[in-house]
Amino acid sequence: MPSAIHAENISRTFSRGKIRALQDFSLDVETGIIFGLLGPNGAGKTTFIKILLGLTRPSTGSATLFGVPTERYHARKRIGYLPENHRFPLFLTGSQLLDYCGRLSGMHSKAERETRAELLLKRVNMWQWRNTRIKKYSKGMMQRLGLAQALIHDPDLIFLDEPTDGIDPIGRKEVRDLLLELKNSGKTIFLNSHLLSEVETICDQVAILNKGKLVSQGSVHELTTSDRRFQLYIEGTPQQIEPVLKEHTQSVIAHNDHYEITVRDNKALNAAIDSLRQQGLLIEAIIPHKQSLEDSFFQAVRGHSETDLNTLFETKAKTGANDAD
Amino acid sequence: MLTKTFAVAYYTFRESFARKTFIAFFIISTIILSILLLAVNIDVVDGALASFRFFNQDVKNVDQQLRLIIIGIQSTLSAFLFTGGIFFSIFATASLVPNMLEKGNIDWLLARPISRSMLLFGRSAGALAVVAFNVFYLVGGAWLILSLKSGFWHWPFLLSGLIIVLTFAVLYAFMVFLGVAVQNSAVTIMGAYLILFFSPMLAQRDRIYALLTDKVWQYLLDVLYTMTPRTFEVGDITRLVVMNQPITSWNALWHSLALGVVYFILAILIFNKRNY
Repeated sequence: MPSAIHAENISRTFSRGKIRALQDFSLDVETGIIFGLLGPNGAGKTTFIKILLGLTRPSTGSATLFGVPTERYHARKRIGYLPENHRFPLFLTGSQLLDYCGRLSGMHSKAERETRAELLLKRVNMWQWRNTRIKKYSKGMMQRLGLAQALIHDPDLIFLDEPTDGIDPIGRKEVRDLLLELKNSGKTIFLNSHLLSEVETICDQVAILNKGKLVSQGSVHELTTSDRRFQLYIEGTPQQIEPVLKEHTQSVIAHNDHYEITVRDNKALNAAIDSLRQQGLLIEAIIPHKQSLEDSFFQAVRGHSETDLNTLFETKAKTGANDAD
Repeated sequence: MLTKTFAVAYYTFRESFARKTFIAFFIISTIILSILLLAVNIDVVDGALASFRFFNQDVKNVDQQLRLIIIGIQSTLSAFLFTGGIFFSIFATASLVPNMLEKGNIDWLLARPISRSMLLFGRSAGALAVVAFNVFYLVGGAWLILSLKSGFWHWPFLLSGLIIVLTFAVLYAFMVFLGVAVQNSAVTIMGAYLILFFSPMLAQRDRIYALLTDKVWQYLLDVLYTMTPRTFEVGDITRLVVMNQPITSWNALWHSLALGVVYFILAILIFNKRNY
């Protein structure tokens, strides 16, 4: 079974190569998961989504959706999309827009379109506004309708660009529930959101993009769990064990009821545990340090930026360029 | 694929008709039809017959005069549609393509499983349909009323309606090309109006040659004449059709239609290459 999304060495440049929106970007998204794409403004997230949807062509590289090349419009048969800052025809009502979108997506049966529209409008709490013209909708209502239009033809892969933008906290919870419901029914969701807490709550897999490059990718658990930092709980919380731990660890921070240690690798961790046991200490728990996705995001983006900065300085030093450049 | 294209055309038709310009056009047409419906019986048919009988004129002659009056009314309407109707229609439809291409609008449309060519075709067909509807509402309505009242069924008037719609189609193809190329409604409107404005001058370029200092200008005029729809000459054809007079050449119409096809193909090619 092909991946829902497969992108291979995609690069996209603008202004005759001066601006590199994406650089050799590869990604695979398996089916049936919620995938979050994160990155600061200008990282290349929207460009990537546009390439996948056939709105923009890559300068180099290729991509497929369920195995169909993105440049073929058939690739979008199983795709739903909620763009950021969408502008739906204001002269239409909510149900008319869904009918239009359904027809454009190949739903030939009017009865099928009506049934599906009713189901979705009720699901996003817009049923009572179905006959009101879109121009009278609030931002939150537009967003709910946007979600409904993305789902009208029951797509298998749904791209959502800032889906909860303009929606109140209760509405956000409803959207999250809807996304989880879709995932449980086997749909794949590709989420582009600035709300890291939201991504952390619902995404299975996350990729972090910075300056057009993939800087980090993995499950939310992998990205938020450090394999080098641990919380160490020892019975009685003895005070004099820091010298013992320091032999095998890179840092030790004493807290009221536990120690926080950083080790080079698992071997060092086991050596530290052995030393503690040799001292006759009873280890109550070793818990991998968990950080928020926001921390991971900043680490990934800052780390990448610092690397870039270092490379830039090195290059300048080699070429003899000065700061005025 | 055709169902999707039809959906685009259908909703473009509705979008166009939601605009005040077309509503105004429709109201003006309705007023004209109402005047014809209410006034013809008294002022034209009965009035003309009565006046002819009053002066003891030959009945055959009366019939001939009546036909001339009907043709006169129809050619006035036809001229109104060819100038004012097309002018209004350009204004009302110019923004349809540039609006579709705007960020936030084009995204959700292109994300659907429909080819770009069909999307553009559907959009253009919708615009053309709303203009055709308005033109035939007035032409068809006026023809029916005048024919029923007078008993004189002048079919060429309907043909003039078709030529007017085809002329608009050619101009609209040019507007679609400009709309896709520059994505600006104002430039699109200006482009179409420039063609309407310069068409009479280009049609009489032979007379202008004498005023030109250099042959280069002549070539330039010839190139412009070849590359732009010949709306002025088509207008003349329309007039001759309604007046039931012989037409020496249909070339201007065929040339304009061919150009329309070229402009539309160019628009599709550009649209297919564009990144949004």
